[in-house]
Amino acid sequence: MIRFVLADLKRLWAGSVVIVLLVALAVALGVGVSLQERALRLGSARAAEKFDVIVGAPGSETQLVLSAVFLQPAALPLMPGEVLAELNDDPRVEWAAPVGFGDFHAGYPIIGTTTTLIEATAGGFSQGGMFRTEGEAVVGSAVPLQPGEAVVPTHGQVEQGGHEHEGIRYRVSGRLNPTGTPWDRAILVPIQAVWHVHGMGLEAGHDHDHDHAGHDTAHEDEEAHEHHGMDADAPLDEDWHRGALPGLPAILIKPKTIADAYRLRQDYRADGRTLAVFPGEVLTGLYATLGDARQVLAVIAAGTQLLVAAALLMVTVIHVGQRRRQIGALRAFGAPRAAVFGIVWLELSVLVGLGILLGYGGGYLAASLLSRAFAMQRGFSLPVGFTPEDGAMLAILAAVAALLAALPAWLAYRQSPAAALRN
Amino acid sequence: MPCLHLDAAEVSFPGLPAPVLHIPRLDIAAGSQVAVIGPSGSGKSTLVNVITGLARPTQGRVFWDECDIAQLSEGRRDRWRGANIGLVMQDFHLFPGLSALENVLLPARLARVADGAIRARAAALLSRAGLSRPDQPVETLSRGEMQRVAAARALLRNPGVIVADEPTASLDPENGAVIATLLLELAAQTGATLIVVTHDQRLISRLPRRIAMADGTVRYDSMAEAQP
Ligand SMILES: Nc1ncnc2c1ncn2[C@@H]1O[C@H](COP(=O)(O)OP(=O)(O)OP(=O)(O)O)[C@@H](O)[C@H]1O
Ligand SMILES: [Mg+2]
Repeated sequence: MIRFVLADLKRLWAGSVVIVLLVALAVALGVGVSLQERALRLGSARAAEKFDVIVGAPGSETQLVLSAVFLQPAALPLMPGEVLAELNDDPRVEWAAPVGFGDFHAGYPIIGTTTTLIEATAGGFSQGGMFRTEGEAVVGSAVPLQPGEAVVPTHGQVEQGGHEHEGIRYRVSGRLNPTGTPWDRAILVPIQAVWHVHGMGLEAGHDHDHDHAGHDTAHEDEEAHEHHGMDADAPLDEDWHRGALPGLPAILIKPKTIADAYRLRQDYRADGRTLAVFPGEVLTGLYATLGDARQVLAVIAAGTQLLVAAALLMVTVIHVGQRRRQIGALRAFGAPRAAVFGIVWLELSVLVGLGILLGYGGGYLAASLLSRAFAMQRGFSLPVGFTPEDGAMLAILAAVAALLAALPAWLAYRQSPAAALRN
Repeated sequence: MPCLHLDAAEVSFPGLPAPVLHIPRLDIAAGSQVAVIGPSGSGKSTLVNVITGLARPTQGRVFWDECDIAQLSEGRRDRWRGANIGLVMQDFHLFPGLSALENVLLPARLARVADGAIRARAAALLSRAGLSRPDQPVETLSRGEMQRVAAARALLRNPGVIVADEPTASLDPENGAVIATLLLELAAQTGATLIVVTHDQRLISRLPRRIAMADGTVRYDSMAEAQP
């Protein structure tokens, strides 16, 4: 029987290949869409998980999350710098760290922040170590720079008309381990360096007394956004009480407890100066609005699958038509019903089963490739993976296919062999 | 060996004014050798379908010994045919992709009766039919060789009845003679009932009883004439 099935498939290989590809295509489409959707959900949830509460100036919650978590370039409104000092004094806060955006190096965002944030959110260094002076930088795992290499910041992205900050160079002090988040593409520098580069030095009471020339002049013409001196060798200053801090686009907060998180958000949301969000919650809201788009995609996928199912049914019917004579002949020479049933069922099942397996493989491959491309572009990985649900889906699919494959065999016994043998 | 008894067997198709087969009564004794003749469209193949159970008569009964095969379900009739009838059709209905020997063995294998004895018999039948290469793929055989394979397949399970519908029609006289001899000799050897539909005069002359069909019914039966 197996020999017969194999000989038959070999004889009709072109049609067989078409059936397998058709099934594979339909399955790959469905599997790919659901894997990709899940990957997006998991990937962005993972990107946000280290950031419990984000505080920013009143404005768009979504933009705040997109900029702070996904490092999407956008001009965020600034909140007063004193919020940072306040938060650091707050007993409910474990740590609070500013982030400052605006500069890029070769398309990689340069983020001004603090050692605390890097220590608390990144998984340690693969090479080198933390920045120790104003002119040092720590790079994420997806940034192609080695310790000792230079970072030349441009204001805005060059392809969008950004310009260089003359004479400003950071030196890479360390590389972080991969985190699978957009921050893998970030170049992290001391926030004070960002302020100095953009002429937003501490406005008053700036009482460091290292002797460099350019520093004092840094305050003179801020509004013109001149390039100002950065003292590459200046030590880090992460004491936020020395004077009025420049405005800040976002502050990331690690609260001590969950209750604290809710209270902090309550306080800083009510406050007229600021906005406080749980990134997870904003993302959930975002998915809800994305839900429509996802449904459209699901409908498209379902529609395609329906079409392919129709095509498949047609192929089956043609297959049976071609097979009518063959089944008639098998029966005429006394093949028992079970054997005929077995042959027809086995043949279709092999084809459809092969298609389903190929489809799962193809869908996985497609989703992985998409995720890879996405990771290269955006720096954060969308984890593609199967879950038990997929196994259940596969089982259901296989069962339906098995039933469908039995249909022609069943139909074959609704006529006599004589009728089947007539053309 | 079973004997055939047809009782008021009728086959009609919707839309046709008269039945294409209408046989009030027909008996064929076990072990007899019969030629069925008649013009095209006279119902010979329809008769073959009915007595082999390939088709169910619209009316009437088809007894092989005590068993009315018109009453059997499709699946049961297939099984009965496999065990009792050796069938040779005008079209060979061989399965491409398999060798000559595999084709001979296929129905027995599917019915799970292909033991060592059957396999030996398959090889013996093929060589007796004059086929020297049993492993040759069946689609590369000549027409004469194909019909020999088909005949060997029909005879494999030592059927009690051998039914052949124009087994030599598409063959040259030489090949036709080989097939005819094979069928006649094996039927004589095992005592099987042999029923052959044919236009082949040489074959007809080798069969003792003749039934002539016309318009779906038996017009002439040499035995009825011999024993009024
Ligand atoms: N499925 C069918 N539907 C309608 N008519 C049919 C059908 N099958 C057979 N017939 C008719 O029954 C008649 C007898 O057909 P049958 O095949 O038995 O003839 P035959 O004697 O075998 O002819 P030939 O010598 O050409 O093979 C024919 O007129 C044919 O058209
Ligand atoms: Mg005929």
